[in-house]
Amino acid sequence: MSGLIAVIAPWFHLLATQLPATAPQGSNSVAARAAIGGLFSIHILIAGLISGAAELGPAIEWLGYMRQRPRYDRLAHGLGRFITVYFSFSSFIAILLITVLLVGLWGHFWTTMVTIAWWPLFIEAWSFVLQVVLAYLWYYTWDPLRSFKGVHMALGGLLAIASFIQVYMIDIVASYMLTPTNPTNPIRLVLNPTSYPLTLHRTVGNLAYIGFAFGGFCAIKFLRAKTAEDKAFYDWAGSFGLIWGVAMTLLQPIIGYSYAKEIQLHTYGSWYKMMRGSLSTVFLWQMTLLGIMFLTATFYFARRLRTNEARGAGLLKLMAAGMVLTTLLAAMPYHLAFTLDQVQAAGLDRPFWQGGLINPLGAMIPWKVLALMTYTLIAIAAVVWYLRGLPGVVWGSARRGEQRLLMVMTVLTMAMIVTMAYIRENGRAPDLIAGQMQIQGQQNIQEPHPSPAPASTP
Amino acid sequence: MALPDPRRLSRRQFGILGTQLSGAIVGLALGIPIIGFLLSPLFRRQQYVERMVGDISGVPDREPTKFEVAFPQNAWDVPEVKQAVYVVRVNGQTKVLSNVCSHMQCPVRWEKTLGQFLCPCHGGLYDISGHNVGGPPPKPLPEFVHRIDGTTLYIENRFTEDI
Amino acid sequence: MRRWLGSAYNWLDERSAIRSLLRKGLYEAVPVKGAWFYTLGSATLVLIILQLITGIFLTLLYVPSVKEAWESLDYIKEHDAFGSIVRGIHLWSAYILLFMIGLHMVRTFFSGSYKRPRELNWVTGVGLLVLVLGMAITGAFLPWDQAAYWTAVVVTNIPAYTPVIGSFIRALWRGGDVVGPITLVRTFGIHIWLLPAILFPLIGAHLALLRKHGEFGSYVNYRGAYRTREGVEVPPAPQQRRIEPPYPATPSDELWAAPLETEDFYPHQTFKDGVVSAALVLLVFILAVTIGAPLEATADPATTSYTPVPQWFYLPLDQLLVVVPKQLIPLVLVLPAGGVLLLLALPFIDRGPERNPFERPAVMVPGAFAVLFMVILTLLGSGRLFNL
Repeated sequence: MSGLIAVIAPWFHLLATQLPATAPQGSNSVAARAAIGGLFSIHILIAGLISGAAELGPAIEWLGYMRQRPRYDRLAHGLGRFITVYFSFSSFIAILLITVLLVGLWGHFWTTMVTIAWWPLFIEAWSFVLQVVLAYLWYYTWDPLRSFKGVHMALGGLLAIASFIQVYMIDIVASYMLTPTNPTNPIRLVLNPTSYPLTLHRTVGNLAYIGFAFGGFCAIKFLRAKTAEDKAFYDWAGSFGLIWGVAMTLLQPIIGYSYAKEIQLHTYGSWYKMMRGSLSTVFLWQMTLLGIMFLTATFYFARRLRTNEARGAGLLKLMAAGMVLTTLLAAMPYHLAFTLDQVQAAGLDRPFWQGGLINPLGAMIPWKVLALMTYTLIAIAAVVWYLRGLPGVVWGSARRGEQRLLMVMTVLTMAMIVTMAYIRENGRAPDLIAGQMQIQGQQNIQEPHPSPAPASTP
Repeated sequence: MALPDPRRLSRRQFGILGTQLSGAIVGLALGIPIIGFLLSPLFRRQQYVERMVGDISGVPDREPTKFEVAFPQNAWDVPEVKQAVYVVRVNGQTKVLSNVCSHMQCPVRWEKTLGQFLCPCHGGLYDISGHNVGGPPPKPLPEFVHRIDGTTLYIENRFTEDI
Repeated sequence: MRRWLGSAYNWLDERSAIRSLLRKGLYEAVPVKGAWFYTLGSATLVLIILQLITGIFLTLLYVPSVKEAWESLDYIKEHDAFGSIVRGIHLWSAYILLFMIGLHMVRTFFSGSYKRPRELNWVTGVGLLVLVLGMAITGAFLPWDQAAYWTAVVVTNIPAYTPVIGSFIRALWRGGDVVGPITLVRTFGIHIWLLPAILFPLIGAHLALLRKHGEFGSYVNYRGAYRTREGVEVPPAPQQRRIEPPYPATPSDELWAAPLETEDFYPHQTFKDGVVSAALVLLVFILAVTIGAPLEATADPATTSYTPVPQWFYLPLDQLLVVVPKQLIPLVLVLPAGGVLLLLALPFIDRGPERNPFERPAVMVPGAFAVLFMVILTLLGSGRLFNL
């Protein structure tokens, strides 16, 4: 980690020296966009883990207390250690983001945003303080408060709440940029059309992400473990992380769809760009990636049960086959060109069997929606079947292949997060704040315009 | 002891049969009128009337204009209720659209900023001619049965297509 | 005085057997463990009775007619402070009732209380849930303001997507093709007569079944009281069991429903029930006085500025209407209908003796997902409550 800092820091120093002494307003080149995009991706990847861990850790501790299982406690404790160790790294990135990039390269935008969302950012800052205090308190009072588990779990609950507030506050800012509302009305600002679809999407996403992440981490630890006790623990924890991750991920399609619906109703231009415009191929990749994630998980479930010849492995393999078919459906492109506009401009707006460039099977409605529903249903069935088979599993007996699947899962999740961040942040372009500020030169748009629908189609 | 003749109705069987028959008579005498009463509004002929909307020569191109027309309600003597009529001119063609969404019959409105008709309930979107462009509505925006006499528009209280 | 009362009581008892009735009613042995969770049911009952009382009194003024429904309620709002409170209580106790009935159901579900021999308790409970939802939705039509009118339009339109007979059902409820005078009168009749006529007998059955089997369905009362199929483990002797066995109700039951510790229903459980119910009724009262029942402008089918907002309790369904594409709209019907059928079938599907929620994932996990999806859909749809 310190190596990473050592690699990144000089670059930022270089960037910082490039800052103009005055008037930061015009200074955004491709490099500035790439810098903020890259750093934000790293930030999201780390911060998502930390808030996920701060919300899931206490939940696992509570679960362990309810069921009187020490391994849950050990897992929660491990998550606590992760938070305390990586918090500093996360803060480092955040400070870099604010000082160098936002203040320096995107000064006008940042001043505007701070003016508009002063209170959310203020609460955000305080929730950081709260989170730091609670995270360290929660981790370091683990043993001292062992006989006062209730008090300790309450601390954990507060930590989870602080983390949630943090995510919500920054999502107000992020969602405002896509679906701005009247900024002088604080209620409209806090409850702007996409603020809580986004918060829900991210909170559930962070919870899934931490599950997949510690799943992969435990897979590595399992392969290196020496004692039988450690092997059993990491085997179990990896499996638990995956179940948890899948359970959360399968909630995402419906949240994401509602989120996209809000974007369609409030910033039609961005929605059009994501679904039919230049981002539609990235979106297609996202749909496919989701299928691959579910497929990998189902495959793990089937293999893990088969290793111990527990019941249900056969049916899970069938579900994996179902996931393959569903992914194939979800991966179908609608327009066989980069954007729908190109197809329409070329006059090839008809099905491919009539010589056009349209593939009706790739339509969002109903085929992709159907695929999303099928993902969800199969995933639920897979989780249930896996849990039914679990009593037949002997922890510690996992094979290499399953652990590799867990590691692949972590990588896939990270790819998913970066993909989604890319879509959302580029959906606004060329606007920085939809209808209010442009990326180019951070120019305010004089007559704020909601993006209208393209010229009426016949 | 002589067994009862199976071909003859015993006193007991007669009692059972009689009770059941009485029940059936009561059930039929009550059931038929009640079900008929419940269904009767469905079989009464709908009353379609024609009403004048007004002069539509002033409706600008590509700018749906709302009119309100009162129609009698399909029951006893209650006040007439107003219905909204969107008169749309696109490239010289006139369309007389209702504001009833084909999805769940919510009140559709013309959103100038979107350039589309929006149903605020479930986010259905229609283009200026009432064709579906987004959201869940299964059919286009319904059109009133209408007649244009010179520049005066008359409509009936029914749509060209059932929704 | 005391003697006079005593002899009057004896006189009454001789003619009505009221003493043994009270004994039986008040001194049932109930478990100590989980008693606070058992107050959810009694709170639900209290709120339903609140509904009945305020509902009866509201009919003394409300006029079920499109011309006068709104006007009569507007009269209450403008000129009748106590009437407004009664209306407020009717509304808010309905809202809280829906919430409590949900909690009661979730409690029963997770604690495995629906298992043999209590399957019919669960089935009648599902029936009660459906009826209460029906009461809530029909009640929402009655004020005939904008909110009520558009609720009526949307809700009566949903069944129209049933294949083949859809438009027939819609027309039957509406009493014609469009929502109008007949719709209001019909819905009023359903709300005050048809549904209550089924609801109250069903409540009686629910309570009678509860008393028959005892309040020992929850898994917390099963811990350490196992009798496996092999008959190995013998339950520890219950300490304070006073009223006659048999718990379990049938000797063939594989698990003993034997609370380790019991106490009398009166006054121990009634105290807890009373505290919870009084707190809820107080909450209802406060909400009724401070917020009251809203009354929007009178119904206007020609509006193009009003944004219909669904009642919060069917937000999950309404949000499904947003996300489900046109080809799959019948799904919106299949999901709730299938959900109710699954709920009815639950005790007959999950028949194993295990009651610990952590040990029966095959039922708990889908159930937890169902609850989670409802919560998420509600959250996603709630933006429209704030008119965003």
